Amino acid sequence: MDGENNLSVIKLKNILLVTVPDDPGDDIIQELQTKVLHAIEKYQSKGLILDISSVNILDSFFARTISETTQMVALMGGQTVIAGMQPSVAITATELGLHLGKAISTLDVDRALDIFTDNFKLV
Amino acid sequence: MNHSHSKYLSNFKNWAEQKRFLDFTEKDVEFLKKLHPFAIEYADSFVDQLYEHLLQFPDTKRFLSDEKTLNRLKLAQKAYFMDLTSGEYGEEYYQSRIKVGIAHQRIGLPPRVYMSTYCYYMQLIIPKIYGNPMFDVETANGVFLALHKIINLDQELAISSYIHAIDEVISRQTEEILEMSTPVIQIWDGVVAAPIIGMLDSGRTQQFMERLLEAIVETNSPVALIDITGVPQIDTATAQHLIDTINAVKLLGSQVIITGVRPVIAQTLVHLGIDLSGIITRPTMASGLKVALDKLNIKVMDNPRA
Amino acid sequence: MAIEETGENPIKNEGDIVTCRKLIRNVATTAGFGMTDVTRIVTAVSELARNVYVHAGSDGVMRWQLLYQPGKIGIQLVFEDYGKGIPDIDQAIEAGFTTAGTMGMGLSGVKRLMDEMHIQSELGIGTTITVAKWGRAK
Repeated sequence: MDGENNLSVIKLKNILLVTVPDDPGDDIIQELQTKVLHAIEKYQSKGLILDISSVNILDSFFARTISETTQMVALMGGQTVIAGMQPSVAITATELGLHLGKAISTLDVDRALDIFTDNFKLV
Repeated sequence: MNHSHSKYLSNFKNWAEQKRFLDFTEKDVEFLKKLHPFAIEYADSFVDQLYEHLLQFPDTKRFLSDEKTLNRLKLAQKAYFMDLTSGEYGEEYYQSRIKVGIAHQRIGLPPRVYMSTYCYYMQLIIPKIYGNPMFDVETANGVFLALHKIINLDQELAISSYIHAIDEVISRQTEEILEMSTPVIQIWDGVVAAPIIGMLDSGRTQQFMERLLEAIVETNSPVALIDITGVPQIDTATAQHLIDTINAVKLLGSQVIITGVRPVIAQTLVHLGIDLSGIITRPTMASGLKVALDKLNIKVMDNPRA
Repeated sequence: MAIEETGENPIKNEGDIVTCRKLIRNVATTAGFGMTDVTRIVTAVSELARNVYVHAGSDGVMRWQLLYQPGKIGIQLVFEDYGKGIPDIDQAIEAGFTTAGTMGMGLSGVKRLMDEMHIQSELGIGTTITVAKWGRAK
């Protein structure tokens, strides 16, 4: 897997935006965590938006990584927002008994940005 | 839940098991082969007699309306009778028997007609078995029993495809009723409402969840009202299904408000020890809608001129 | 009526988890399963394939079989490894049980996603997990 080219962390003012590919392998998910944490350190970001609108599978490994990443981002002073989960993924995740820890969900990236403007006045 | 494979329709593997259950062995196959030349010899006459018989009854006559159909059916019936003693009872035979059952069910031929046809066939062929100078008593008995077994196998297949077809209709109708009983409606920009009528079991929850979540995403609604006015009783399982749905909605980034919590439902929830404290609940859909509009910062005012 | 199709995919490294998922997504979608059922099946594949990879190291396989019946579609998946086996199957299916540091939702969760699940395991020889899902043909 040439995961290195698949993930880009976009800096939007003091927020980070990552678009997760549709069927991310374990290596990509781990790479995501590392890249995000380094970017937060570099840009002093106050928030992370994970756009998962393309993601069509969320298994326990992915869910655990999101939950842990949310915790790590929080330790570095940021809030994580999960944007655009597909209905079939949400149903499956619920049936599987998964949870995303302290991450907040929003319907799409627009509403995720709203969270930061309304609640945190950061953008 | 098992909204899945019909328990009635056998597959080819089960059929092999059924043969063993009936003790249908190679010996039976040999006996049937012995009968085969006579079955061929008398096939035309049997079919003619059978159809003459069928035409005497209005119930069966209506299926044999015109000459063309009649001739086609006679040919098919002849092949069917000849297959019975062919000695080949593999997958091809199995499939052909299943098809016959499905075809009969489709045109609405009652199973009793199908069953009686075999009886009539037996009536015609038994003299050819016991009156056959080529067969001693032992052979005749063997042939008779083998024929009885293969007919039994045939009937089991045809009847199970009858039942299967009815089963299909029932489950399709059940699904349609379920769909009709849980509409999801957009009642405001950013608010969808889903009234639940009747009990919420696991099969229905799966379907309901799917429709609700899709509607939320489609209408980009941050609030969803689930109205349970039409739910007669609530038990721990129903409550768990509701909580699952609420959790799935939350993962999407939308929030559920449960409305229509009647006194008796509130009492039951508390007595069962079901904790809905993290969830917004309201007695009526109207009061739930107020909460929803509040959350969306929408203000509705009376028209002063009204 | 019983048109059967089968196939298999080895599970030898981490990348094979994604390969299995992609393969089964394709198979289940083509067979006519609805979107949510496809997601359930693929998620179960992911959990079980990872299970094989984590517990058996480098030697496992996933076999799939498609079954059509009038009005129905079914998929059966068999995950086979030659790892150390599961000492207590009932415990392994219980929600919250984990040996691999995951969320402990693995086997109990998979059971909820699928219609049928069967586990056969022998200590020191290996484990075979069979799951099946049925749906309405389109």
